[in-house]
Amino acid sequence: MGEIRTEEMLMNIGPQHPSTHGVLRVVVKVDGEIIKEADPVVGYLHRGTEKLAEDLQYTQIIPYTDRMDYLSSMVNNHAIVNAVERAMDLEVPERAEYLRIIVVELNRVMSHLVFLGTYLLDLGAMTPFLYAFADREQVVDFFNRLCGARLTYNYMRVGGVKWDTPDGWLDDVKKFVPYMRSQMGMFHELVTGNEIFLERVKGIGKFDAETALNYAMSGINLRSTGFNWDLRKNKPYSIYDRFDFNVIVGENGDCFDRYMCHMNEIMESLKIVEQALEQIPEGPVMGKVPKILRVPAGEYYSAIEGTRGELGVYIVSEGKDKPYRLKFRRPSFINLQLLPQQLKGQSMANLIAILGAVDIVLGEVDA
Amino acid sequence: MADFFSWVDKPLDTHAVLNMIIGAVVILAFILGVVTYSIYFQRKLIGWMQWRIGPNRVGPLGLLQTIADVLKLLIKEDVVPEKADRNIFLIAPILAFFPSFMVLAVIPFSANHVFTAYSNVGVLYYIALSAMTIIGVVLGGWASNNKYSLIGGMRSAAQMISYEVPLAMSILGVVLMAGSMNLVNIVEAQISFPYVWYIVPQFLGFCVFIISATAELSRTPFDLPEAESELVSGYNTEYSGFRFAFFYLAEYVYLFAMSGLGATLYFGGWSGPFLPGWIWFGIKVTCFIFFFFWLQATMPRIRTDQLLTFAWKVLIPLSIVNLVLTAVLKYLLH
Amino acid sequence: MFGFLKGLKITFAQLAHKKVTLQYPDVMPNWGERYRGVHKFYAEKCIVCNQCARICPTSCISLSGSKREDKKLHIDTYDINFEICILCDLCTEVCPTEAIQMTDRFELATYSRVDLYKNIYWLDENARKHDGIIESEGRTHAGGEK
Repeated sequence: MGEIRTEEMLMNIGPQHPSTHGVLRVVVKVDGEIIKEADPVVGYLHRGTEKLAEDLQYTQIIPYTDRMDYLSSMVNNHAIVNAVERAMDLEVPERAEYLRIIVVELNRVMSHLVFLGTYLLDLGAMTPFLYAFADREQVVDFFNRLCGARLTYNYMRVGGVKWDTPDGWLDDVKKFVPYMRSQMGMFHELVTGNEIFLERVKGIGKFDAETALNYAMSGINLRSTGFNWDLRKNKPYSIYDRFDFNVIVGENGDCFDRYMCHMNEIMESLKIVEQALEQIPEGPVMGKVPKILRVPAGEYYSAIEGTRGELGVYIVSEGKDKPYRLKFRRPSFINLQLLPQQLKGQSMANLIAILGAVDIVLGEVDA
Repeated sequence: MADFFSWVDKPLDTHAVLNMIIGAVVILAFILGVVTYSIYFQRKLIGWMQWRIGPNRVGPLGLLQTIADVLKLLIKEDVVPEKADRNIFLIAPILAFFPSFMVLAVIPFSANHVFTAYSNVGVLYYIALSAMTIIGVVLGGWASNNKYSLIGGMRSAAQMISYEVPLAMSILGVVLMAGSMNLVNIVEAQISFPYVWYIVPQFLGFCVFIISATAELSRTPFDLPEAESELVSGYNTEYSGFRFAFFYLAEYVYLFAMSGLGATLYFGGWSGPFLPGWIWFGIKVTCFIFFFFWLQATMPRIRTDQLLTFAWKVLIPLSIVNLVLTAVLKYLLH
Repeated sequence: MFGFLKGLKITFAQLAHKKVTLQYPDVMPNWGERYRGVHKFYAEKCIVCNQCARICPTSCISLSGSKREDKKLHIDTYDINFEICILCDLCTEVCPTEAIQMTDRFELATYSRVDLYKNIYWLDENARKHDGIIESEGRTHAGGEK
């Protein structure tokens, strides 16, 4: 008997595929179900945010950042206003700072819940997705009451926040925190203990801290390898130095660790929200800012810990009311770069598991 | 009535053939009803488990939802991809559906088995025919000329062939205990001395059976052939309209048939106190179907290599152990 | 080894859980007071300062006004292009007289792009609808009230 002739097959995963989380396209060369080569193609959701920003005043840029990482718009808002405030040396009222922390951390919870839901959906479990979204809905509702939108908040302004809280809002958030904690217990029982789930994620998509650093990864992708790096602790911005919370790190850098980091970060974020709710003072929510914002000429970089990693804003200003150049360091995009290496030699099913665990948002990858 | 249909032990004449056709049509109508409402049941049940309402717009309580869906499928354009292998593409769904309907012939719905073939090789017949569906699935996946379909078809071939083995081996335990391959006799053996359903002495075999059955039906957590998040829709990616409906129908007819088989082999089929036999059978089958849907609402999907490893390294040894144990016990007790 | 049984227990327990979905469009969600939906416009309040058109990040507002007998500027045309409007709320934020505001109306789907250019009359009608001056189709809200 002669050798059976086999052939490699070129497959397009995406841009329209149920689990590429948007419009990512991965061109894979498969031998049977084993991936020989993978090549992510990005840009299907490119809207030119950075170029558009060159023609916009700083306030006008804020709604555009909503649409970058659309699962954590508050965090993006925070990144841009924080960058402009630092560049202009502006004071932000205490209450506004606390409100920012509360909404940013709630947004982190919300975004991680989406990760939890969609990741399990990728792995074939349908139900956790709906539970996660039902709980997320409560946070969405809080944001809707606070700023009138469910996804694109446009809540923060340079020098403060747009709205003070409506009546009873803080109390409702206070009630939500213990509820969410108990829900996390349910998710752990439903998902974390499941043998099939463990089989699917343990030891899959492993990389070490050195690789992660070489690829400039940040956020949970970096922390899951055991490398302790969180801008909220390492380079505290805003008022994060006033809160007591832990930086969650993993051990092995596999998909399971990334999943656990997400789950535990929800708990830490809830902790921060709880402390902020206790400490929040009364007062104005908008500081004294000039009518037209002009960043002094020069180059500025400031970064915050976004939901998916270091979200940096680099402003080149010529002293006008519009930036000369605005660059966002988008963590999703940078975290995605390791993908071709991670996928080599894996099966099709692992592709989904690995891609899901990187936790990308295509709005942010393509900006 | 029973006399009218007693064509089994008579020579084949026009009268008998007519009766067979009437029987088949009645069963077909019945099974279409069962499939319609098991799909409705599935959607409602999973909806409730997921804090949703489930279908509720078409008809009272959404009871006509599935009928509306099927109607939509039937009046849809029959699309055949240009590059597809046309003939095979067209017959594949029919090939997949027919065996699923034919296996129903041996399932005893009730004590006086009007529509049941009193076949002495009922178990063998079931396993042999159900294996034929794979041909339809593989051909459909191949003929679609779509890479996702191809992978889906290949996966399902690997999966079904692997799981056929433990399924058959676990059933052998029951056959050994009853001393018959006739499904009717197996039920009768359970209601005579020592009056115990085979779930008790054959518990290990039942565990193997239910796992392999889930895999044979390609239901979650073994729904790899149509793994939505990986293969879009697997082997039926390119199918639409009534050809897709055929695949879908085959899947749900098997769900019913497999539940019926499980109820017959391990839970005494139609037997039970007070209520008439067919109600008991219905209750048991519903419990099985409920279990499959419940699994579907809970479990993530297993990976291909893990699936095959599990079949060959865990389930087959277990079923062999079960078979040997049954044989030894049977020998010692008699 | 039997961790999945816990999962089965949980999904079973949820059978009786309160349903969280809404029977939209029969029942409408309860948007809060601050909800940012389609605009409404009060022509009599507008002083034609042009701030809303200037702040708009997508330049979807265009307006024009003229001087009347009382030597004040009055609005003549006011158009919003909802094809590109991102409902960011900046126009209502800068408006000194609150002539442009937002409603909780959000259903804009239509068969033609042309329908998405809303002029001053439409926006004014929307204002009157929203304030209850003229009848709008009443639908049940999640809370139960119309």
